[in-house]
Amino acid sequence: MKVTIDNQEIYVKEGITILDAAQEHNIYIPHLCSHLELSPYGGCRLCIIEVEGMKGYPTACTTKVEDKMVIRTHTKTLQQMRREILQLILSEHPSACLICDEQEECSSFQQTIRKVGATTGCRWCPKDGDCELQKVVDYLEIDKITFPVYYRQLPIENHEPFYDRDYNLCIYCARCVRICEEHRKSSVISLRQRGRFSTIGPAFNMSHIDAGCEFCGACVSVCPTGALSEKGRKWGGIPDSYNASICPLCDLNCDIQVLMKKGKVIGTLPPGDPHQSGGELCVKGRFCLTHIINSPDRLKEPEYLFDEGIGIVSWDEAVKQAGKMLKDVNGKRVAVYLSPNLTLEEILAAKLFFKDIINTSNITSSILNSNLISYISLSEESISLKEIEKSDCIISVFLNGNYNYAPLTLSIKQKAEKGTPYFQIGWIKDTTSRYAYQQIIPFPGREKTFFNKIAQSIENADNSSPEIKELVKKIKISSNPIFILGPDIMGLTEADGILKIIKKIITLTGSKIFLTNPYSNLIGLLSLIDTKSNEEINELISQKKIDLLYIIGDNPFQKRPPVNSIICQSPFPAPDYLNADLALPSAMWGEISGSFADIKGNIKKFKAVTNPPGKAIQNNEIFDRINKEIGKKDIKFTYKGISKLIPKKLEMRFPFVKRKPLKAKISPPNTSFPLLLIQEKNPHIFYNISLSNNIRDMREIVTEDAIIMNPTDALKMEIQNGDSIFVKSDIYEKIYPIIVRKIIPQNFLLLITSSRTFDFNPNPCPVHIRRNNV
Amino acid sequence: MTELKKSDFEKKTIVDFKKDLINKRKQHGSLIPLLQSAQDSYGYIPEKTVYYISELVGIPSAEIYGVITFYSQFRLKPLGKHVIRICEGTACHVNGAKNILKSLQNELGISIDETSDDGLFTLLSVACLGCCSISPVIMIDSKIYGKLTPDMTKKIIKEYKKPEKQNVS
Repeated sequence: MKVTIDNQEIYVKEGITILDAAQEHNIYIPHLCSHLELSPYGGCRLCIIEVEGMKGYPTACTTKVEDKMVIRTHTKTLQQMRREILQLILSEHPSACLICDEQEECSSFQQTIRKVGATTGCRWCPKDGDCELQKVVDYLEIDKITFPVYYRQLPIENHEPFYDRDYNLCIYCARCVRICEEHRKSSVISLRQRGRFSTIGPAFNMSHIDAGCEFCGACVSVCPTGALSEKGRKWGGIPDSYNASICPLCDLNCDIQVLMKKGKVIGTLPPGDPHQSGGELCVKGRFCLTHIINSPDRLKEPEYLFDEGIGIVSWDEAVKQAGKMLKDVNGKRVAVYLSPNLTLEEILAAKLFFKDIINTSNITSSILNSNLISYISLSEESISLKEIEKSDCIISVFLNGNYNYAPLTLSIKQKAEKGTPYFQIGWIKDTTSRYAYQQIIPFPGREKTFFNKIAQSIENADNSSPEIKELVKKIKISSNPIFILGPDIMGLTEADGILKIIKKIITLTGSKIFLTNPYSNLIGLLSLIDTKSNEEINELISQKKIDLLYIIGDNPFQKRPPVNSIICQSPFPAPDYLNADLALPSAMWGEISGSFADIKGNIKKFKAVTNPPGKAIQNNEIFDRINKEIGKKDIKFTYKGISKLIPKKLEMRFPFVKRKPLKAKISPPNTSFPLLLIQEKNPHIFYNISLSNNIRDMREIVTEDAIIMNPTDALKMEIQNGDSIFVKSDIYEKIYPIIVRKIIPQNFLLLITSSRTFDFNPNPCPVHIRRNNV
Repeated sequence: MTELKKSDFEKKTIVDFKKDLINKRKQHGSLIPLLQSAQDSYGYIPEKTVYYISELVGIPSAEIYGVITFYSQFRLKPLGKHVIRICEGTACHVNGAKNILKSLQNELGISIDETSDDGLFTLLSVACLGCCSISPVIMIDSKIYGKLTPDMTKKIIKEYKKPEKQNVS
């Protein structure tokens, strides 16, 4: 199709807009509301053009190209009109700097007045120099505003986590509203009111957390002005470089780009143009990574526990002490804990070091308990993320996708929107719930029976509930059903039984399965080393058969176990109660090159982008130094040498588990214990720290050791947000603070625990509650 | 406040609204009729119904809230016991409707489209009440008061307040 733009004949595809056609051929038409990832909106009116034979001045972003169209984009009238329109926009946008007489000298004298509460001009704005509005102002050469200037005096919203909102700077292009709706499919915010009273935000002035915001940062990425800004990067300026990497905070290992300035990580974004991308990551990949790598709590120097107390030592001294401890001990009496966040190279180095040099086979990880092993052994039937596209019936089981697994929840939402039936089995209302064909809450305290009924219903026609009948009917008529399992299932007391039934259901229906797990390299750990289960090592420790514990980036204990000495090697300090004899600072993601394995055994590589803080060094280097100190064998632990040894295709080997009969009996709620308490391990764990504990903003959205309660229940019991309540089961009682949120249905309580074991048994547990001070 | 003043509406009951909800489930273009139905039933749109409609129709609550606040026909707060409509049409304007409005605002402590804290009065502005000959006029519930002065307005409002106070005591 041939069109003429500004006397230039160009050939374009049919069906695209004039703006897209012009951009393809490097003809600039100013625009503010139009965005590559969003559907046309026609809000800002800056892209007006003249088309021969067309009345008036159509907008280029909403008009499609037609054959033999003659378009003019830069006539005098158009530019004059654009200037007028832009001045109207600017009359409600703080632009003191634009019309200031001293604007040229400003950059050299006024550098220090930037960090102000309210923005009145460009030099006080966090987006200065990176602002789309500024670019359009420069292009249209505006130096005065003829209209009276109006400042809206809206309060600055900076009380919520991760990003600040100053709607005084907003130009109402509605990109944030649209990306939340079209791309992220969350629709948390919308345009409210009309005319000059318009504001952007959730319904009923709710907080973003209550409205279900996932803090994916898509709105911040696309905002053309400084109205939305990242708290962490607000005054960081423009990055020097963008480096490709992958996110280490769950097993999906999403592609990301790391923003660097002066050798420091200042932010992370999804790959692609920093202004054109957003929404593909979850809050962890988008905001938390920067916080973790720059955390002031990082372990920076080796620490040794002297008789007088903990003291900082040099690396030589630390290596000498480690060598002494390891030489003295019999290899069979050493137990090793490895973090599931270590890279393949580090795991292989650990294998060489502990199997060949120290001669121990007691290698485990704090997460390798029997429930996890029965969970991860389902992976034989598992599929990759891309294959979800082909499914025609999706069933999620105990999946909590609120601040997790963004690419997964996105593809569920996309599929469900197109009409694929999506069933959500579980208690928690997450971001996908709105798209669910049906949310099925298993009868409290009878979860195993519930799944059994599904299995029975599939085998023969029966008398189960209408919900299950509908579910089974949909599974039976679909040709490619997929079960998506969430890690919360591992916390249930009956997990093993439930997983067995799920496996039966899968074989009966010929379904596929997608396993989510919050550990970036669990698969690599299970494939490279023959591990033992956590229970087995714990038994050895309690029988006093272990003298030395070597913990690498893991946090397996609640108190110091009865062993002679403990060596902790981690990017973060070991917890105080552990009283580690030696703490060695190691490098983490971003500071090392390495690779992770996904559920199918494929390997994904990433490169180092910065240097470790203080005296921290890479795990492989630590092994190398200690090996030289012990001097037993000549093995090189360098990255290059090790990476050659990694097999091309990985296959998991599971540790042997001896199953004990269940002690606790599951019972449904009754009159004396009417509520059902669900306990969940906090899935947001990285090395030996919890993100909720380490990052203040994360603590606000995923609060550890607090009870989450439905608003209706809270109203009935006259309990308010922040109250402290007394939770009592038939054998245990404890006091917790309350958070009132809609994510949990009535008559349920949710407790996200920081510990690895649950206080209340069984899980879920029937409880009753009362206010602490009454 | 137990009774809502429904004289201005088609008298719908909450049962009717629920019937509407069930009939219009997952229908495209059913949002505005549902909101109207909710307002006819309750006299305003309670927060709960927004979430309820959102779940049934599949439109996010933020978007529904956007629609409600965009159209002036929808209210998120209940009407007061007495609805005062002040005419701001040409004739009334010329004869000093502005002064009447000012005295009303002083007496009630609210501005247009608001409801007083005690839930007694809601102040609305209209373009004409059809009785320009006795301008300036206000209409309280279904009664017209014409040829007003600011002092007269104050007296009228006090009259309306009186029986309420007696009832309370």
